[in-house]
Amino acid sequence: MSQVKENKQSDDPRHWRDIELAVNGKRHKLKAASTWTLNDVLRNVLEMTGTKRACDYGGCGSCTVLIDGLDAYSCVTLAVEAEGKDIQTIEALSDAPEPHPLQKRFAALYAAQCGWCTPGMIMSAKALLDRNPDPTDDDIRVALSGVLCRCTGYTAVVRAVQEAAVELRGGQR
Amino acid sequence: MKDTLSVVGQNLVPVYANDKAAGTVKFPADISLPGMLWMKFTRSPHAHARILDIDTSQAEKMWGVVKILTYKDVPRVLFGPYKDELYPLDEEVSFVGDSVAAVAAEDWNIAEEAVRAIRVTYEQLPAVFDTEAATKDDSPMSALHLPDSGAEWWKDIDGRNGDERPSNVIGGTNQIPTWVNQRGNLDEGFKESDFIVERVFHQAHVSAVPHEPRGCVAVYENNQCTLWCSVQDPFKVQSAVAKVLALPKESVRIVSTIIGGGFGVKVLGRFAVLAALMARETKRPVKVWFTREEESLDSHNRSALVHYVKAGTKKDGSLTAFKVRTYMDNGFWMFGGLGDNIAKAICTRPMDLYHRCPNVLWEVLTVRTNHPSTGPYRGRADAESHFAVETVMDELAHGIGMDPLEFRLKNRIHPGDPLCSVAGKIMSAVGLEEAARQGAEAIGWERRGTFANGKGSARKRGMGMAMIIHSCGSNPSGSSEARVEIDERGTLSLFSGTPDQGAEQQTTLRQMVAEVLRVRLNTIGGNNADTSNCPFDSGPYSSRTVYCAGIAATKAAEAMKQTLFAQAAEELEAPEDELVLADGFVAVSGAPSRKVSFARLAAANGGLLKTSYRYNSQDEVLFAYGFAAAFAEVEVDTGTGEVEICRFVSSHDVGRAINPIIVEGQIRGGVSQGVGYAMSEGFRFDPRTGTPLNQWFLDLKTPSILDIPDIEPIMVELGEPTHPFGAKGCSEIPYVGVAPAIANAIYNATGARLYELPMSPDRVLKALSAVNGGGH
Repeated sequence: MSQVKENKQSDDPRHWRDIELAVNGKRHKLKAASTWTLNDVLRNVLEMTGTKRACDYGGCGSCTVLIDGLDAYSCVTLAVEAEGKDIQTIEALSDAPEPHPLQKRFAALYAAQCGWCTPGMIMSAKALLDRNPDPTDDDIRVALSGVLCRCTGYTAVVRAVQEAAVELRGGQR
Repeated sequence: MKDTLSVVGQNLVPVYANDKAAGTVKFPADISLPGMLWMKFTRSPHAHARILDIDTSQAEKMWGVVKILTYKDVPRVLFGPYKDELYPLDEEVSFVGDSVAAVAAEDWNIAEEAVRAIRVTYEQLPAVFDTEAATKDDSPMSALHLPDSGAEWWKDIDGRNGDERPSNVIGGTNQIPTWVNQRGNLDEGFKESDFIVERVFHQAHVSAVPHEPRGCVAVYENNQCTLWCSVQDPFKVQSAVAKVLALPKESVRIVSTIIGGGFGVKVLGRFAVLAALMARETKRPVKVWFTREEESLDSHNRSALVHYVKAGTKKDGSLTAFKVRTYMDNGFWMFGGLGDNIAKAICTRPMDLYHRCPNVLWEVLTVRTNHPSTGPYRGRADAESHFAVETVMDELAHGIGMDPLEFRLKNRIHPGDPLCSVAGKIMSAVGLEEAARQGAEAIGWERRGTFANGKGSARKRGMGMAMIIHSCGSNPSGSSEARVEIDERGTLSLFSGTPDQGAEQQTTLRQMVAEVLRVRLNTIGGNNADTSNCPFDSGPYSSRTVYCAGIAATKAAEAMKQTLFAQAAEELEAPEDELVLADGFVAVSGAPSRKVSFARLAAANGGLLKTSYRYNSQDEVLFAYGFAAAFAEVEVDTGTGEVEICRFVSSHDVGRAINPIIVEGQIRGGVSQGVGYAMSEGFRFDPRTGTPLNQWFLDLKTPSILDIPDIEPIMVELGEPTHPFGAKGCSEIPYVGVAPAIANAIYNATGARLYELPMSPDRVLKALSAVNGGGH
């Protein structure tokens, strides 16, 4: 039977890298093992747990964040690769004084059922609305096709993005 | 009644929705504690084997590894979600992915590397994967023994005589099925038939794929154990952890307030018990967070099935006889194998739906194999049966030239009919006809014969339907308790033991409480699914929360109203029947200035008013079921075999929608998952080794936003007499009818019948070539 083992910090054999990440407009200096993904660092080092993970290999989109304005899978991005890039997570919206229109609509239309894919879905939708403020339903479906949802059947998601787009355009339908 | 309601029936923002949209809601895997270790599992590469040796020495030497547990290190205590049948770890492994060892390390990468460094020597044992072959007398056994004190497992099951030949058939033998539903005289029935259909159906295993991979954070301090855990059954986990760790139940706290999807599969498993053991061993917090592969393997699936069906009808559309023999691949553990189980519901509920059929013999053989376990997953038992039943109903109707909708309605159940699925119970309300007619009108059912499917076009359009019965919460087992409290500040709280796995049950329950006590929804607080302050609930399965927990919450609120009135009557010197509730006050009717606040009444009662109610549905004679009709309009590409779902109308007898936006969301989501089951999903295993072939997201082929049309939900609200607000659970039934409705639409479009799930393009092409005489 194995004993409970003590591990001295000084013996730690991992390859540590000093990196600096720009997350939600704030710079974070931290140590990251070279094998850690951006998702690992966001969740386990910076304790920003709004960003989820559901598959580890870019298969579902629950881990979606924005990297230089484009939606990207944080589970297949190494932390060291993300240095020097502008990273935005769901916390960028949640820490604002008012909820983002996307967040309000996702809540009100029950487009967030279990809530697991929701941060990824909202970030992917934000990337869309940032580049196309007046999307068609088809534009929304194509843009969000990298994020899978198991709960909603997607209709509420499409409507939430449409209504948020209207609000962001100042009510213009 | 409806006109007087102000909270029930309203589209109110779900109580956890804002936090979910903000990403601030805490799931178990989001919890991190100082000094926390990460735990990973070594898993079996073999479908059936005995462990001869486990060499952990290399892994133990690795920096960062803190502790490794094997079967030699864990208490030899049995536990299980439905039956005590699992050891925390065992020396016999029974499916590919079965847990062999648990490693705790300083981080997730180190734990993963250590898992790979553990050397296990196995003696491979014969394994069974084919359910029909497994019921032959020369078949090997899927288990050497159930791991209780070395006794052969078959001796303990259902009081079976220990001398009988062992069998892989759970609760039966190679000759005796697990469950039989019989009525009338089958031979007579077939003699009377004008038209008979005989078919074989195959359905693949399917994985529930909740998007949150199971997480658990365990803390063991001062002989108290706390687990934040992604499970639907926190009270079962509490009992199991207490049993394995030999702690009083009250010393174990399970929190599963919000979990990221459940669909029936997030139940007590080894991961939770091992996390608790590891936290005790290491004296540090321990986190488990499954990978997607683990979430697929170390879960339970909907079973693979084979149905042999023979059914007959008279020319006038009276069903005469229905005969089925079903082989169900149980996988290894008996999550659904015994007692009031999936087998029983498979062979009885469709024959309740078609109560008018006088002659029935439906046998189910639940076969233990060396696949991962199967068990309850959204639409439990009815998704298993309806594809076959509803395809055969369609064929019978076409055979006698009758509208498939009218044929089904002619044979349907009516209120007051005795049920064969639950002995001694009588059918309550049945909204089938209303649901079917409204659905037919919405989709334009009369258009189904008018599509211009000329020879020139490769794309053919068609329409099909299915009729559905499923549990709506009225359940012969399980109970739900709810507690309502008002404190001296006037804060009103509801405590319920049921987790929110996405259906926002707390919203629905609080709406009922708010209605009774005449307050606004957002004034109600409280907690759910924390065993330290919530009363017992069997958990959100069988769509039971709105029904069972809803009755409990409403009755607890009504008891609170009585308590408030009794005290206020003294305070206000007015008779109770002249009192009314208004926004946190009790007032005298017609004299609104004569009032007393909830806060003051609570303060006068030691600072807290508390009422509770425990609901057991076995006490009732009237039994409620959910009913629905599903209508699909499809376009089949006869060149590629691809099927586009153009429209899908899902029409439900919901009793009453407490929060319509939630009910509609459940209907759309249920249909969406059903589309996956019908068209693309299918958890496949190598037929020789039992090795999973598609345990990752992209290969599981769950529908994307590009695969699902805007699903059209219909809610028929006739009111269920056995529920105080007339509600029925409606979160699973939308799944059930999708596959047969689409299959029948494909037939309407092309003349081709599909008898196998999923209906992938290759199978559609094969079916097309069969009707086209071998070429297309």
